[in-house]
Amino acid sequence: MLEMFKKVANASAVTIFILLIIVPLWLALDRLIWVAGPDMTNWFSALNENYISKEVVGFTFLQATLSTILTVFIGLPIAWQLGRYEWPFQSFIKSILTMPFVMPSIVAAIGFLNLMEIYDLRSNENTWFTILILAHAWFNLSLVIRFCEPVLSTLDPRLEEQIKLLPNGQSFLDRIKHFWAPLLLPSVAAAACMTFVFSFTSFALVKLITLGENTIESMMASIGSSAGIEGYQVSRNEIILGGSIIQFTVLLISLWLMSYLQQKRQSLLPKASEKIAKKRSRYGWFVVGPAIIFAIAPLLAILVDSFRVQTREQDNVTESWSTEGWEYAFKETVSLSSGWDALINSLSYAFVTLAIALPLGWILAQTIKDLEVKSPKLARIIDVTTMLPFAVSSVMIGLGVTIGMIKINPEFFYQLWFTPVIAHVMITTPFVVRIILPALRSIEPAYDECAMTLGVTPFKRLISIKIPMLRGSIIIAAIFTLAMSMGEFGASWVVTRNSDWTTLPIMIDTIREAYKPITNTASNAIASVLMLIALVLFTWAEKFRPKRDGGMF
Amino acid sequence: MLECIDFEKSFEKPLFSGFNLQLKPGEIVAITGPSGSGKTTLLRCICGLEILDKGRIILNSEEITDVKPERRGIGLIFQKPVLYPHLSVEGNLKLGSKNKEIFDALEEVGLQGFNQRRVETLSGGEGQRVALARALLANPTVLLLDEPFSSIDDDLSDRLVSEVRELLKKRGCPAILVTHNKKIAENFADRVVSL
Repeated sequence: MLEMFKKVANASAVTIFILLIIVPLWLALDRLIWVAGPDMTNWFSALNENYISKEVVGFTFLQATLSTILTVFIGLPIAWQLGRYEWPFQSFIKSILTMPFVMPSIVAAIGFLNLMEIYDLRSNENTWFTILILAHAWFNLSLVIRFCEPVLSTLDPRLEEQIKLLPNGQSFLDRIKHFWAPLLLPSVAAAACMTFVFSFTSFALVKLITLGENTIESMMASIGSSAGIEGYQVSRNEIILGGSIIQFTVLLISLWLMSYLQQKRQSLLPKASEKIAKKRSRYGWFVVGPAIIFAIAPLLAILVDSFRVQTREQDNVTESWSTEGWEYAFKETVSLSSGWDALINSLSYAFVTLAIALPLGWILAQTIKDLEVKSPKLARIIDVTTMLPFAVSSVMIGLGVTIGMIKINPEFFYQLWFTPVIAHVMITTPFVVRIILPALRSIEPAYDECAMTLGVTPFKRLISIKIPMLRGSIIIAAIFTLAMSMGEFGASWVVTRNSDWTTLPIMIDTIREAYKPITNTASNAIASVLMLIALVLFTWAEKFRPKRDGGMF
Repeated sequence: MLECIDFEKSFEKPLFSGFNLQLKPGEIVAITGPSGSGKTTLLRCICGLEILDKGRIILNSEEITDVKPERRGIGLIFQKPVLYPHLSVEGNLKLGSKNKEIFDALEEVGLQGFNQRRVETLSGGEGQRVALARALLANPTVLLLDEPFSSIDDDLSDRLVSEVRELLKKRGCPAILVTHNKKIAENFADRVVSL
């Protein structure tokens, strides 16, 4: 009976996932091709010739590449220090340094803008590019730490001792070449790959920090509202199609590379031992100290600036400290919703997303795990399908939902409060699968087998063995889903821009665009709320993370 | 009471073929063989964790070849003790019994007062004793032991061999031990069979 129920649940989860992910994107693609025409050469030539998109592709690649290089350059020495040496309050330091990645991207953008305004760099046209690269490095720093630090911190010291006694390991350079580089390279490359993907599809940082320059992602978001309408702005449809294909291809290649590198990396991890006596680093604070300041400075700037009110009278700018920004943010005005409405909307979307994405992702992960033994090929197909949304950026998902759903029934979907949830579920479900699947795989079959030989029923095995053993991963997946949904900006911006369903990230952007002195302070107040929610959620999640995790989530 | 008739099993290579065994009530049999000869697979087939390519299993005159492992009433002690890390010793033992015989079971294996201990604080020998207590709590018709003494040091292994044998004999619980160690096989079992 339970077996039958399991099979039905597995089949339903796969069907729902395909309907939810593939159908909107397919409908959107169909609609765009219907407007733009099927000739692919037109799509790419429009991308190259139109003034909107002319330099966008080059700029996207350039900023993503430079962001990746800088992130690895800053992150590797920090990972080395944290992994190789003993630190007082080690887990606290690690939490601080990995915090930027879990912050909503719009919070990161606001933080950097505040920080740069303090030093009057924002207005300088020569500095925005550096700030963007630096902000990407700040945002992705924890990827390098999360990928490399576990390899270093749990490395069996005998391996290093042995290489020192061999002819090819006598100098430091020899040891780098023959030992450290082969050991760390897959982890560094995997982190670099992910950083490239996130920088390539960066939206909030690009939208807020640049002076109107666009990446493929931000360009598609800004012109997306006029897409999908027959005979109207046809070239924009062509640009979106061309941009989507480039973005999809780049993301697909990066993810394939990432998956290959992860497998290589996993094969290096088991060599590690868990308990190693480490020394304290004599000069390590020169690396870790500035890193901590770098990690918390933008966030502190948000909190501080939420109380700093600037008043301009002609050329005079006066500053005062008050809670005026907070009051303005949480008060309803003629042109703006109240912060409370945005908070309630964000929380509601997050919990509805959680209620759908968590069980869906869990059952999908279980389906893949079950099929890995019975039908490995089918398991691989479903596994890859669940990763597909990673190759579709959040703006593409947002466009997929709006353009795709419009095709079904425009009236209905524009009026439906639920619509942003579809986008959020599309974005978060693959993360749930990626968090729970390794946990399912790591449960030794002997645990289940042993319980079987003790006569424990399948239902009791689920309740008293499997769920408790997965508890940490389930909680992390739930927290991740809540936090991602609350901080989601790209898809929400595209989906909700024609509606009244303001979320916290959307409200930050809307208030900031009002260009009143008080709205700047108010946007910092809203960003502080979002930042504190993310901080509480992820600090809580850290408690459940296995010590030797080493994954990005 | 337990009959293994014409067993055949192969994975990438044939493991065993035409294997027959009869286990009498209360009898302890040891099966020896070199590494890779299929000893563990044989036990897994008997308790239902692996499906036989060919052959039948009769337990107390009933055919159990297609019965699910959790319904066979055959216990298995793994080479390394399988203890659930999220449960205490008591929690692990409760999986073997719904009754409150836990304290007696711990006393039987010489681990009085261990009920609240976390499993990660147990030594190899203690872990194996907890696994044994749990398996016995389930009152198995037959107990299978998959080289349970191989991961502990020689002195402790010798002691455990005689203690476990004594315990099984006291309970009249028939058992099959697989091991590559002939000395352990001879000390533990009434009869030794080669695979």
